Amino acid sequence: MLIKEILGKFILVLFLLLFLSGCWDQKEVEELAFVIAIGIDKVEDKENKVRITYLISNPEAGSSAQSGGSQEPPREIISFVADDFISSRNMANSVIAKQITYDLLRMLIVSEDFARDENFIRWIYDATKSMEIERDIKLLVTKEESATFFQNNKPLLETRPHEYFEKILATGNEMGTIPESQLYQFFRITEADADLFLGIYGTTLKDENIQTSDDPQQITAGEFDFQGESNLTQFLGSAVFKEAMMIDSLTIEETRMAILLNPSLKPGFFLGTIPDPFDEKYRIAFRMENASPLKFDLKLTGGTPSIHVTVPLLLEVLSNHSMTGYQKDEEKRNKLEQSIEDNLNKEFNDFVKKTQEEYKSEPFGWSLLARKKFSTISDWENFDWMETYSDMKIDVDVQVKLGKFGRQSDLPRIEEIRD
Amino acid sequence: MLKRSLRKTHKKTISNEKSSSKDIKLKESDIPSNFEETIDTFKSIYSYPDNQDVVLRPIDISGINKKSTILFINTITDSKAIEDYVISPLLNNNDSSKKVEDIITIQSIKTKSKVGDIITKINQGNAALFVEGEDHAYLLGASNFESRAVEKAQNENVVKGPKEGFNEKATTNISLIRKRVKSENLVVESHIISKRSKNDLFLLYEKDLVSDKLLQNVKNRVNSLDVDAIQNLSLLEQYIEERKYSIFPTILYTERPDRAASFIEDGYIVLLMDNSPDALVLPATFWSFYHTSEEHYLRFPYGNFTRLLRILALFITLFTSSLYVAVVTYHSEMVPPDLLLAIAATREKLPFPAAVEVFIMEFAFELIREAGLRVPSPIGPTIGIVGALILGQAAVQANIVSPIVVIIVALGGLSSFAIGDISMNFTIRISRFLLLLSASFMGLYGITALFTMGIFYMVSIKSFGVPYLSPLTPSYASSGDKIFRKVLQKEILRPGYLKPKDLKKR
Repeated sequence: MLIKEILGKFILVLFLLLFLSGCWDQKEVEELAFVIAIGIDKVEDKENKVRITYLISNPEAGSSAQSGGSQEPPREIISFVADDFISSRNMANSVIAKQITYDLLRMLIVSEDFARDENFIRWIYDATKSMEIERDIKLLVTKEESATFFQNNKPLLETRPHEYFEKILATGNEMGTIPESQLYQFFRITEADADLFLGIYGTTLKDENIQTSDDPQQITAGEFDFQGESNLTQFLGSAVFKEAMMIDSLTIEETRMAILLNPSLKPGFFLGTIPDPFDEKYRIAFRMENASPLKFDLKLTGGTPSIHVTVPLLLEVLSNHSMTGYQKDEEKRNKLEQSIEDNLNKEFNDFVKKTQEEYKSEPFGWSLLARKKFSTISDWENFDWMETYSDMKIDVDVQVKLGKFGRQSDLPRIEEIRD
Repeated sequence: MLKRSLRKTHKKTISNEKSSSKDIKLKESDIPSNFEETIDTFKSIYSYPDNQDVVLRPIDISGINKKSTILFINTITDSKAIEDYVISPLLNNNDSSKKVEDIITIQSIKTKSKVGDIITKINQGNAALFVEGEDHAYLLGASNFESRAVEKAQNENVVKGPKEGFNEKATTNISLIRKRVKSENLVVESHIISKRSKNDLFLLYEKDLVSDKLLQNVKNRVNSLDVDAIQNLSLLEQYIEERKYSIFPTILYTERPDRAASFIEDGYIVLLMDNSPDALVLPATFWSFYHTSEEHYLRFPYGNFTRLLRILALFITLFTSSLYVAVVTYHSEMVPPDLLLAIAATREKLPFPAAVEVFIMEFAFELIREAGLRVPSPIGPTIGIVGALILGQAAVQANIVSPIVVIIVALGGLSSFAIGDISMNFTIRISRFLLLLSASFMGLYGITALFTMGIFYMVSIKSFGVPYLSPLTPSYASSGDKIFRKVLQKEILRPGYLKPKDLKKR
């Protein structure tokens, strides 16, 4: 009887504990304002402040549910000066009715101006402190102020902001026009202090003084000239970060090469063009993919360190404006293969040379492979990858294998048609 | 004060209880030697002639010239049989050398001399024949209780397989089992388990399979009952189970003779009683509540597909509503953005917090279910229409609940029907509410904690000495019929946790 009474009280206390102590971080979803992206800009004359811009999604926009579906706009943008993007949440709530949350945060956008600032690292590391910010969010660099970027960015079809950003970044990633650029990669590379980080480069401003260049692949954000009725935003190329500071930007082609040369990434299918070896007027379009994993030959100790990279590529030729009959002529095919190989080899080696001379480090993640060659950490640190890299003898060897020549390989002979 | 006054009322003894020692003494004694006195005794016992269905018919046995009287209760006795095989042979007898046993042509005759024994037999539908000058009564087996025919099982439906169900007559039920287990090793033991109404309980088992310890355990528990009346097995179940407050059932209740028979063949014990269109199978494990007979009647892939559906349905029922509440109120970062925004959009104009909203709908669903069960069948269909229309459509349009919650509650409710066993069904439904409660107070942590506690509890309980989750945990040799079943040819072992005398099926 006594035991039963004690047990009963014990269970009662347990229940009370549940009711009294529960609900401490309860928050209903409709009471939250979901921030999709945060913009961070430099404030003129004030070194210890930043301008924070919030892009807030309106859940009711585009909802076909019976109780939702109003005519409200899909997004809300608010921009103000704050100490950092953690404490800024409270300040924003003096204007925004619902409690600001970073639960759905997908992007951190910084202006190029701020990214090139040496103090950038002090603010970006706030993201590691907040519990709500996930590490796989994207880091974007915009040419203009991020506040301007948000306001200019008006997607016509994907009006819900998270949907637009998710879609355009995923597609760009797949096509190789922009790098992956996740926040944790940025932190890892910064802390490893050996490689370069590639961030997504975007803008809403069109470069006024661009001339249509010879190679449409050699463009970066703002240089893509398009007309029509669409959003102004373009994500093209990448922003190069060295030691948590932006130093340069890469074109689409360079970004693609950086992805292809990175052994830790799994590139998709990239489309590109090279001059036609049979008629210099035209360019050949191709689709390439990694045929097999990259092969590395690293000789780091003894003499000049050297790296030999073999890049096996599978190519599909997708256009043939010179209308050459490859399919029945092995000689022509060999010539084509050789020409593509030479072309790509030159491009790859030029790019590697550029990283060696201009950046004095590489965006390919090779330091991870090099580390394995050293038995102790201090050995590795003494080697000083970033310092040594620019003097290394690097040789990229592209091995092209031709695949199909499009769905229909045969083309009519132009002489016969025009006789 | 309240306690004291309660104690006072409790102390009051029941004063109008009459001593029954006289009756008990009479029942212990033999029947009087005087024939007239005997008849008078039984007349008074059966309140003749006030008792309308008690028949006393004096018969002069011709041939041997003896007076006799036949006594039976005509509502539970086959009057035609008594007339044809008892009364008319007695009246038409010419042979003076024949004994009474030889004159009567009825199937079974027993002789008893104790008053109490005779009464018991009469109450079971037998007729008693008292003959002048004899110190015992002849008990003639002619019982005929009213019962319905063997019909389809109502609650455990199958598409493929036998359709017969038990009915309220124990002899029919035993016959249905004997039809399936044609073996001399099948023993049907009978025990009288109540003191006043003398309810019979039949214990069925295969004597060369069942573990003696288990059998003794069951017999002890059945014989130690001290109650006036136990009408049927549903009541008996509550008398003999171990944990009466537990939400988990520990005795399986089935209305299918094929299921009962297959359990007997595995070394289980089956209980049958009159007035119960079902059988109790013990011991029971969690799996026996989760399985149905159809999964073995269906071919291997089909049966396991059903099992897969059922285990998914089990978890859907348990967790959908609580997960929704937990995720929406505590862990919104877990939801994919599109879904989260859709949920947020529908919740925008709702008056209640998510937990209350789900509670309302769950409660409404249980109401529809209960109403549908109790409503007289002519107006039954309206319940479905009212429930679906009012609660689903109108509640959403009136901005009381969000459409997502309707989906969640409907999904959970639908899935709960996949657990066919009525007891386990209640277990799941009650646990669903408990999980919902803990989810609304502690989020995912609460769900996990309660579920873990539930698993601990399930592992700890036993049914007649058999762990509830065996043979999964603790592991025992068995046919492996747990979440999924094996091909029949590979199910060669009887459940090891029953300690059967013969483990291997040939």
